[in-house]
Amino acid sequence: MMQDADTADTLPFLDVANPAFSIRSQAVLDARDASWCARTPYGLAVLRYDDVQKLLRHPKLRQGSYRWPAHNGVTGVFARWWEAMLLSQEGDTHARLRRMANPAFSPKLIGSLIPKFQALANQLIDKFADKGECDFIADFTEPYATGVICDLLGLPFERWRELADIAAEMGLALGVTFKQDLPTIEAATKRIFAFAEDLVETRRAAPTEDFIGMLIKANEDKAQLSDQELLDMIVLAIFGGIDTTRNQIGLAMATFIENPEQWKLLGEQPELARAAVEEVMRVRPTVTWVTREAVEDFTYNDTPIAKGTTVHLFSQSATSDPKIFPNPGFDITAERKPHFGFGGGTHHCLGHFIARGDMTEALKLLAQRLKNPRFNGEVEWLPDSGNTGAIKMPIAFDAA
Amino acid sequence: MKVHVDMSICLLHGQCVIAAPEVFSFDDAGGLVWVTEIDDSQVADAEAASDACPEQAIILG
Ligand code: HEM
Ligand code: SF4
Repeated sequence: MMQDADTADTLPFLDVANPAFSIRSQAVLDARDASWCARTPYGLAVLRYDDVQKLLRHPKLRQGSYRWPAHNGVTGVFARWWEAMLLSQEGDTHARLRRMANPAFSPKLIGSLIPKFQALANQLIDKFADKGECDFIADFTEPYATGVICDLLGLPFERWRELADIAAEMGLALGVTFKQDLPTIEAATKRIFAFAEDLVETRRAAPTEDFIGMLIKANEDKAQLSDQELLDMIVLAIFGGIDTTRNQIGLAMATFIENPEQWKLLGEQPELARAAVEEVMRVRPTVTWVTREAVEDFTYNDTPIAKGTTVHLFSQSATSDPKIFPNPGFDITAERKPHFGFGGGTHHCLGHFIARGDMTEALKLLAQRLKNPRFNGEVEWLPDSGNTGAIKMPIAFDAA
Repeated sequence: MKVHVDMSICLLHGQCVIAAPEVFSFDDAGGLVWVTEIDDSQVADAEAASDACPEQAIILG
């Protein structure tokens, strides 16, 4: 008989289900010192760099959120999409879908969007620069993250609000009130699919060489990418790309406000922007952990892990470990080992070239145009665990 | 065409194995192995793998 790892009482315990739990708390640091993993109310939490790195690629683990709707007793259009989409798939189906989607997300295609990202960032900054203050989330990160998706889909920026609202309503599915919010979530899911269908129909009539064009090309071979899978992929790009980017740029600003000399440096040396994105994602990733599930019984680090065990890979704690990162403080000029902010292994973020590209351009322009940024009122935060970030961030600055 | 992977930056995500399974694979110990000299029929897949590699570790030439 395999011992259930969840009950192994020698391991530290982290109450990740408590809304007050913080991934940056002393409890996590102490647990990381004491052990490579901790128990939680839902399975294990993996805390150290080498173990997160190895387990992200472990053949006995699969992506762990696919059961989320079933776990909540939810069925319907959202659940159908969630269970069918790329992130929930494994093995041959995952590989096939990923192969078909790759060309649409290629670095070459994304490179051509960079001037659009710059124009978008400047246009948004123009609106508030003279005032010397803004809500960095409502005035910049949210319209920027959504505007980037509009650029990707070849839509005018004016449609950003519509997309942002749909994504936010669908996003309720990730929260604890999933079941109560179901009517809103279902309605938003139907709207987003109507949106995607419309987009595909327009581009079929007038083909383009862009993101949607590449997916439509992949869809010519229906056995490789069916009509439904084409729509599911477009919906995933919208759903997976907006909140993550919004949150990550907000976390970047908060980190720089706490490290003003680094912001000054970035303003003087814009070529550091790419490294700045990596360093922000090392110290303050928005996706603070990724979830996996054991597909069979196995033993890791002498710990038996039973089939079905949920395993949270704590990216945040892994990449802030002073044992692996000597001088772990925020430094955009330091040479660092890679972070896990985009996950890793077969499910490594498909949109990372887009996200890296748009965040680099945003930070470059912001650091040149907003000098000496500081908090200017109460910042409102999501819980400091799971997918985190600010939802309101009043800042003041000196316009350059 | 020659295929080279810069193992100092490769993080073993396996995206190349997904994109070009005839060129890249994992051995039993989990190490990455690849065909170093490919013929024309494999070039398109190898290019897709090189594009898809998150670390941009694949060099074709
Ligand atoms: C800063 C922004 C972003 C962050 C931090 C982020 C983070 C992540 C992470 C951590 C994963 C892996 C999840 C897991 O293994 O359980 C992931 C997967 C994914 N992301 Fe992103 N992401 C970002 C932006 C984007 C964008 C802009 C897009 C699309 C336009 C996108 C599309 C995807 C897709 C399709 C997957 C699933 C890949 C698969 O299962 O093979 N992401 N992302
Ligand atoms: S995709 Fe790139 S990083 Fe991943 S295993 Fe292949 S070469 Fe290495």
